[in-house]
Amino acid sequence: MTELLTVEGLGVRFAGLTALDDVSFRLSEGQVRAVIGPNGAGKTTLFNAISGYVRPTSGRVLLRGQDVAGDSPHAIAGHGIRRTFQNGGLFPALTVLENVLTGLTTETPGSFLDLLLGRRRALEAERAAIAKARALLELMSMGHMADARAGSLSGGQQRIVEIIRTVASEPPVLLLDEPAVGLSPVARAQMMEIIARLTGEKGVAVLLIEHAVELVMASADRILVMAAGKRIAEGTPDEIRADRAVLEAYLGHA
Amino acid sequence: MSISPATLRLRTALFWAVPVLACALPLATNPYTQFVLNSMLISTLLTLGFNMVIGSLGQLAFANVAFFGLGAYASVIAMNDLGLPWLATIPLSGLVGAAGGFLASAVALRGIRLYYLAIVTLAFGELLRWLYIHADRLTGGTDGLAIPREGFLGFRLGDDTAQFYVFLAVTVVLVKGTLNLLRSRLGRSIVAVRENEIATASLGIPTARVIVTAFMWSGFLVGVAGALFAAHIGRVFPESFGLTQLIVGFAMVLVGGTGSVLGSVLGAVLLTALPEYVRAFPGMEEIFFGLVVIVVLLCLPQGLASLLRRLSPVFLERHFRE
Ligand SMILES: Nc1ncnc2c1ncn2[C@@H]1O[C@H](COP(=O)(O)OP(=O)(O)O)[C@@H](O)[C@H]1O
Ligand SMILES: [Mg+2]
Repeated sequence: MTELLTVEGLGVRFAGLTALDDVSFRLSEGQVRAVIGPNGAGKTTLFNAISGYVRPTSGRVLLRGQDVAGDSPHAIAGHGIRRTFQNGGLFPALTVLENVLTGLTTETPGSFLDLLLGRRRALEAERAAIAKARALLELMSMGHMADARAGSLSGGQQRIVEIIRTVASEPPVLLLDEPAVGLSPVARAQMMEIIARLTGEKGVAVLLIEHAVELVMASADRILVMAAGKRIAEGTPDEIRADRAVLEAYLGHA
Repeated sequence: MSISPATLRLRTALFWAVPVLACALPLATNPYTQFVLNSMLISTLLTLGFNMVIGSLGQLAFANVAFFGLGAYASVIAMNDLGLPWLATIPLSGLVGAAGGFLASAVALRGIRLYYLAIVTLAFGELLRWLYIHADRLTGGTDGLAIPREGFLGFRLGDDTAQFYVFLAVTVVLVKGTLNLLRSRLGRSIVAVRENEIATASLGIPTARVIVTAFMWSGFLVGVAGALFAAHIGRVFPESFGLTQLIVGFAMVLVGGTGSVLGSVLGAVLLTALPEYVRAFPGMEEIFFGLVVIVVLLCLPQGLASLLRRLSPVFLERHFRE
């Protein structure tokens, strides 16, 4: 398995608060790594530091060996690390299809003049992007929703569209921040199937923040447990399940 | 409900039918109605440019009236001092407006947004007006500048009918260009920035460049409108580019429909025609204007364009090209 993402000694300090403290891990092609821990543990901060939304105060983020720490969010997304947002990141006024198309922006070439004049080059790229977006929506059983305003969808559907949009450009690394929160059991199962398909068929490496323990245990290859910005445990689901400290503190089995 | 090919063909036909039919309008006008028609075309470009940043990008950037003035002064100064023919000053004024848009976007990119952006850009407009008054060597001060009488290749600048055809051609080209942009990945990115700037960046979209581009295209449209305005009035002076003009432009955007090209046209045409109808009741123009704005916005909060959208999918404005 090729190693895609390497996080080394990553730290983030906000005025006085150490939100992320010396966190390291590796993520390989096709692997799912779950990140768990109580609220305020620093999970989202870890995502923000990797994806460029927060400048790390220490450490490195390597994508295929190349350090991307400190790059801007759009540059990091351009390199192939893409993420979703804990509170949802869809564009409500755009349709589902348009939302997915925004995920293909970096693959839709054409200069400003090409777009302004509606030149063939731009139109062909646009047509190709539309075909790809429609195919993706079909594949994920969302084709019938293509022309609906994203804001009119149910919470679960929005989460799924956000993931489709995020993976549309086939990024090698995907960061999902609590994708299953608020989902019905059916939608949650669908979400898990989508993640399994992405890792199994496309070899996407997934970093997954998730609270639902059964979901994490069932889908993750490895688990990183965090508390107060620090890594407190790391291992396979079985190892984590056997870790009494983790069990008592975070998995509610005490 | 995807838009059918038949609907798309109808939409294209309707789009081109409007300017083609408009070509016949001068047959039915008198000098006064011709003047009003020409004003409508200028207002259309002004509103289109204003709507780009206010509606599509969702930024309260009120500097656009200032770009209108910049374009108008640039056109007249280029004619008087550089000896350029008026037609050649149209793209020049657009570029001057775009440069103004670039400056305003720099303010927005420094994190000055919402009401703060509104105030800063308003102040920018007032500052320019102060400049028009005090840089009188260049601008003629409060008296303003007159455009030259001579024409170009037989084109008489003062001829309202000739102006109409030039205005119409320029407006159609720029409306079409703006539609092209809004239906492209750039238009989607502009709306995406309005809806969620942080999430937009996560898709590899350079949000700063999107904001700069939207401001500059907006400035270009408004600057071009300024060049047309200079020829239309025959004179530019500071008072044309004050707060009243700004409020009228803002009302046109809202009444037509934010983020809608169709809305820009409808809002500009309606609110340009309206004051002319109530001329008969002196002193009542502003009240009537205000009343119409209020009534339209109460009945159609999304503007006039939303009414047409409800009537037929022909009027749906999507941000991709079917
Ligand atoms: N931008 C920020 N500025 C200051 N403090 C922050 C910021 N983002 C997060 N924090 C703080 O960092 C800690 C970790 O938060 P977060 O990463 O959101 O935790 P989690 O996602 O695990 O619930 C919290 O105490 C939070 O208040
Ligand atoms: Mg979080």
